[in-house]
Amino acid sequence: MRTYRSRVSRRDFLGRAAAVVGGVSVGLMGLQASAAGVSAAGLDESSVPRLAAVTQQSGSSVVASMAERLLTMDPANHISIAATTVQRHIYDPLVDVTSDSRIVPALAESWEILDDLTWRFRLRQGVTFHDGTPLTSADVVYSLARPATDTKLQKNSVLGDISSVEPEGANSVIVRSRSPFGSLLGHLTMLGIMPASAAGREDAFFQAPVGTGPFKLTSWTLGEEVQLAANTNYWVSGSPKVSSATFRFIPEVSTRAAGLRTGEIDIIDRIPADMVSTLQNSPGVQVLTRPSVETQQWVFQLQNPPLDNLMVRKAISMAIDRATIVNEFHLGYAETAVSPIPPGLVGHVNLGAKVYDPSGAREMLRQSGVSNPSLDFILMKGVYTKQLEIAEAVQAMLGEIGITLTIKELERAAAIELRAAGNYHMFYSGWAHMPHDPDWYFGSWFTAKGAAILTRYNNPVVEQLIVDARSTNNAVRQQKYEQIQRIVWDEEEATIWPYYSTAVYGARDRVSGYEARPDYYVLLNNVMVG
Amino acid sequence: MRSYVLRRVLHSLLTLFGVSLVVFGILRVLPGDPAKMMLPDNASAAQVEELRRQFGLLEPLHVQYVAFLSSIVRGDFGQSFQFRAPARSVVGERIWPTLHLALAAFSLTVLLGVPAGILAATRHRTMFDYGSIFLAALGQSLPNFWLGIMLILLFGVTLGWLPTSGYQGPAYLVLPAVTLAAYPMALVARLTRSSMLEVLGREYIRTARSKGLAERTVVMLHGVKNASIPVVTILGLQIGVLLGGAVITESVFAWPGIGKLAVDSIFQRDFPVIQVVLILAAAVFIVINLIVDLLYTVLDPRIRYS
Repeated sequence: MRTYRSRVSRRDFLGRAAAVVGGVSVGLMGLQASAAGVSAAGLDESSVPRLAAVTQQSGSSVVASMAERLLTMDPANHISIAATTVQRHIYDPLVDVTSDSRIVPALAESWEILDDLTWRFRLRQGVTFHDGTPLTSADVVYSLARPATDTKLQKNSVLGDISSVEPEGANSVIVRSRSPFGSLLGHLTMLGIMPASAAGREDAFFQAPVGTGPFKLTSWTLGEEVQLAANTNYWVSGSPKVSSATFRFIPEVSTRAAGLRTGEIDIIDRIPADMVSTLQNSPGVQVLTRPSVETQQWVFQLQNPPLDNLMVRKAISMAIDRATIVNEFHLGYAETAVSPIPPGLVGHVNLGAKVYDPSGAREMLRQSGVSNPSLDFILMKGVYTKQLEIAEAVQAMLGEIGITLTIKELERAAAIELRAAGNYHMFYSGWAHMPHDPDWYFGSWFTAKGAAILTRYNNPVVEQLIVDARSTNNAVRQQKYEQIQRIVWDEEEATIWPYYSTAVYGARDRVSGYEARPDYYVLLNNVMVG
Repeated sequence: MRSYVLRRVLHSLLTLFGVSLVVFGILRVLPGDPAKMMLPDNASAAQVEELRRQFGLLEPLHVQYVAFLSSIVRGDFGQSFQFRAPARSVVGERIWPTLHLALAAFSLTVLLGVPAGILAATRHRTMFDYGSIFLAALGQSLPNFWLGIMLILLFGVTLGWLPTSGYQGPAYLVLPAVTLAAYPMALVARLTRSSMLEVLGREYIRTARSKGLAERTVVMLHGVKNASIPVVTILGLQIGVLLGGAVITESVFAWPGIGKLAVDSIFQRDFPVIQVVLILAAAVFIVINLIVDLLYTVLDPRIRYS
């Protein structure tokens, strides 16, 4: 048996240990400070990416914070609001959409519809990427062909309808689709144009992407923060108005709001209604609101009895007091829905708010022949503001007419598994029309293919109307969408659409030029600070 | 001693192997499909299947597990599902922030918790003693999440002394470190106090006093050293508490560390990242425990390993 013989006496060791503990804590602060110093000197930003912000506290920088995390710089492989927002600063799309849902030129100076299936886009002249190479039709062809052909990319589910993208000289592009694609422009507003030189080395490119946009990427910490520097050669004169911009992704709303109140953050998104008055009363803070292009929806599993029974669905709809929900839980920062498509988009129509009629609902339920049904209402944890309180209100309202609603608030991953398997009755959801066009929504939720893992909706008449509504003629589109909505809203009561959400943002008083967008994008192109 | 350390290291490797199995297993039985999390709501079954194939989730479980082990041996830990980047680099850039935070909180625990406990014991049944017991009870019972938000509101928003969130310099460290240290600091203070009270009642302390040693020498030399074994044990265990607490603290303070990454990755079902984070945490915990066990021999010469 060997015993341990220390070469250092215990007393020495203890003394040294105490010194080390003290030294570590002091050194820790020094380490932080020196790391910041290294970064400020621009020596090694890759190893301390976050610390670069220390250098950017001059007057002309802006810090914006979003609730959703940015996961990718690939324009074709996400359907995220945060990714669309950040990418909009680095890349430009062919066409842009304004807050009042008008499609306006961006990299395409103009466009024309040659026939139902063919579009010509004329590119803006004299635009260069951040690395100095000029924009040509080859770049546009590459950027559009990727999602059109690569089925692994998320946007293939919508842009897969493009059958070919061809250059027409150096400055025009011809886009053809398999069938009329009336929402093409809307979808193109969400797709940034990348340089064709990225072909074949996309993974590396997306770590240090280059675009034609108003800002260049300086650094990013995956999921946490993105730092941008102004593109001084941007083709829009006078934009951007700040020399640098930072996006921070902070899901916790109290933290986001605290940062705004102290002035560490200039702009925040997704403010819940009950925080509005606190922020309005905070010195130096302004609250900006705008009716959004998002409709809340509590969908039914239409093949899960008793919800396959129209009368049960009607009874549920009549039993829900939407105005109370809007006023009590959203304090008026929402608007009772009058049709599935929110105002401002093609297809919106006022079909009249649903009437709250509990005694009529009780009678309807009695006539349906279903007595005391018991239903599961699935919520995805932490997704929608006030969702649990609202679900509990719905639970009480349905309880009034003899329906037992069981609320199950699950982690998102678990909830969408249940939904895919069809093991639910009602599902708390919502839809923001990011392309400012309802085509994507109806294609997803009201075609047999899309609804197969969602609501199990299946109506060939509506399915045909959805195809017809993809016409390139807006008058036709309006008419078809009105027809669709009369069916799903009035006749079928296929989903509860309780209200349109309001987008609420906070900004420091020193921020000017910031526009509260209805699509939740936080755009800094025209923002000035100071 | 050397063979003891060697044996412990071997045991540690075995434990880590076990941890890898458990982590791998739990992730596979957890409801939720990583592919569906990454895809649009209405993604077709074919798209889901294709992504599952890309993620390697269509392989039989044992093949997936072997691929996972070999990714550890290669050192890249596989490709993060959510970021489409090597899990090693995703986790790598988060290590420093968490290390800073954990070290700061640990320093607070040692430098404030231990002295507070000693002082409370030597001032037994005084206002200082009662005050520190009260504060310790508070520190142990306030939830991290709530405490963090209250500190942000008080010191960030109302007083404007400290920044509210982020990771940009020493000032940014203060509130998260205090929030994270609240629980272990309180625990260590209470434990040091009770351990000291017990030791100070011993006969050798009376002997030390009766031979005329200064009270300071009695307490610091004879008291603290003998009271230190349980305190060191608990301090070692607090590393685990700090790693666990970092999950919530980092989320509240938007601290770009491993804890926040862990939460985000679990919600997103990003298996490769969760696996690295959990195995890393287990490894840290095992190493700390080993160090604590070896420290005993230094603190108390009667303890010998063979």
